[in-house]
Amino acid sequence: MTGQTMKVVAVTTSLSEDSTTLKLTDRILAGLTSVGESVGIEVATENINIRNLASALTDMTLTGFRSEQLETVFATVAEADAVVTVSPVYKVAPVGLHTLFWQLIDEKALANKPVLIASTGGTPRHSLAGEAALRPMLSYLKGIVVPTTVFAATDDWGSMEGGRALSARVRQAAEELVSLTSTIIGASRDDLAEVAEGSHSEPVSRRAGGATSGAVRGVDDEFDPDRITPFAQLLEG
Amino acid sequence: MEFGIFTIGDVTSDPTDGTTVTENQRIKNTVEIAKKAEEVGLDVFSTGQHHNPPFVAPANPAVLLSNIAAQTEKLHLTTSTTLITTTDPVRIAEDYSYAQHLSDGRLSLMMGRGNTGPVYPWFGKDIRSGIPLAVENYNLLYRLWREKNLDWEGKFRTPLNGFTVTPWPLDDVPPFVWHGSIRSPEIAEQAAYYGDGFFHNNIFWPTSHTARMVQLYRQRYEYYGHGTASQAIVGLGGHIFMRKNSQDAVREFRPYFDNAPVYGHGPSLEDFSTQTPLTVGSPQQVIERTLSFRDWAGDYQRQLFLIDHAGIPHKTVLEQLDLLGEEVIPVLREEFAKNRPADVPEAPTHESLVLRHREGRDPIPGGGPGSRAFTDREQARAAEKSGADQA
Repeated sequence: MTGQTMKVVAVTTSLSEDSTTLKLTDRILAGLTSVGESVGIEVATENINIRNLASALTDMTLTGFRSEQLETVFATVAEADAVVTVSPVYKVAPVGLHTLFWQLIDEKALANKPVLIASTGGTPRHSLAGEAALRPMLSYLKGIVVPTTVFAATDDWGSMEGGRALSARVRQAAEELVSLTSTIIGASRDDLAEVAEGSHSEPVSRRAGGATSGAVRGVDDEFDPDRITPFAQLLEG
Repeated sequence: MEFGIFTIGDVTSDPTDGTTVTENQRIKNTVEIAKKAEEVGLDVFSTGQHHNPPFVAPANPAVLLSNIAAQTEKLHLTTSTTLITTTDPVRIAEDYSYAQHLSDGRLSLMMGRGNTGPVYPWFGKDIRSGIPLAVENYNLLYRLWREKNLDWEGKFRTPLNGFTVTPWPLDDVPPFVWHGSIRSPEIAEQAAYYGDGFFHNNIFWPTSHTARMVQLYRQRYEYYGHGTASQAIVGLGGHIFMRKNSQDAVREFRPYFDNAPVYGHGPSLEDFSTQTPLTVGSPQQVIERTLSFRDWAGDYQRQLFLIDHAGIPHKTVLEQLDLLGEEVIPVLREEFAKNRPADVPEAPTHESLVLRHREGRDPIPGGGPGSRAFTDREQARAAEKSGADQA
């Protein structure tokens, strides 16, 4: 796996500038980078803050169409190799703004993508919110959610013990995400390599490079004349 | 090129004073709007079909259109849309055929599926079958208008044995049909397959999306051999509000925008004006925006404007029509005619359709000899045959 790049996109709902949610995102992304290093994979990370999309998401709910800004963000998620979702918990569920994002993104947006769920809350009593609310939603989007979810309560930031436990959970979840993602993208790159060798086309290393892995995943274009269902077929039922 | 207006017939309270017109008043106003459209020099009036409040658009648009036909001379009448999913194709065939006779051919239809879930079961249908209903029902309508003593059997309707539409279409030529859809590629494909027109309402959605639907239709129109992509029959909507001074237009329209059904309480007027073709401003701004449609849609045949929804007072709607007739449409006619290739057809009229029919140039559904669709079918058949021979 040496020399490859893995593109991880974090989708974070950080409601204030220096929120614990954003801190948790940073910890997880750093964890992913460090796990990647230890196995020779370069992890490229990007964070999207849902707060900046609040109006666009509301507008889309009401009008049915996405602003250019949303279009770009949805494409970024679609092109990622793996996704991390991080949000604060309100009343035993991830804050509505965060779930709205996942409710509005395309069906199958997460197909073949490992996903890590993380959330923050005031007390450990909220710790299963991610499991209960987000796991089914992300599975519906065809995401492959890794077994370990990360939850950080106020205690985790304040006490030595809590901090250590949080670090361990972050490390565990990061290992699961990196290992699953490298298996999936490794496999699809090998498949590509065979195809490319078979047809003597351009060098595999360029096509299968980390930077193009998003393009390899592709985005369905339902208005492509070559991909629509011919009318005769519709007519036959 | 044809210019006109389309209405969805909503009865919405005027948010500036809380008043609501009665259904009776709205219906009478609609007729007056259509008559005024002819008076100020517009070509087309179009009405939606609705079965539920807050709309008083007719459940059978042929009723309203016939009434308007009786009070106008030249105005072309059409629907936006006729619900092909929940209306019996036999009734569509007969009712619009009748209206076609009454209006001396000044009638066309635009097929639509409707997007209100509860309506379907009222007519024994299921919204999940929206596309299959549109496909089967239109195929039946198409045949009803062309084949006498029709034997037919399908999934969604009782079979027909030796059925002939009464009255038969005027001069043996059915009304021209447009297919309207906001986001279903299947409907663009359907329009192309038959060589019918494609209409995108071009309101409430971004231009980039509408452009892709139109392009898909154009490419498939060419594939089925009805003409080149640039010769396909395209209609577009538009959403406008005008005053001589653009600041006055924005100030006056804003409360209607902010409280409108569909998009109200959401994006700002400014954002919506950037993201969708909504144009609120001076007649010159409307002219410029509308002319820009050609940049992404190509030369097209029909432009309809929405001017009467969201509780805008009747008097204001009539003033919009005056501005359209006096300042906007004459300029649009002149500008759209410039650099328009000679081989791009005008919107079909009854006369042009009669001529086409008599000269044997009616489009062949699915593409006749010489079309790429035809060649593809032949090749597929040959391949299948040689495969069978080898086996």
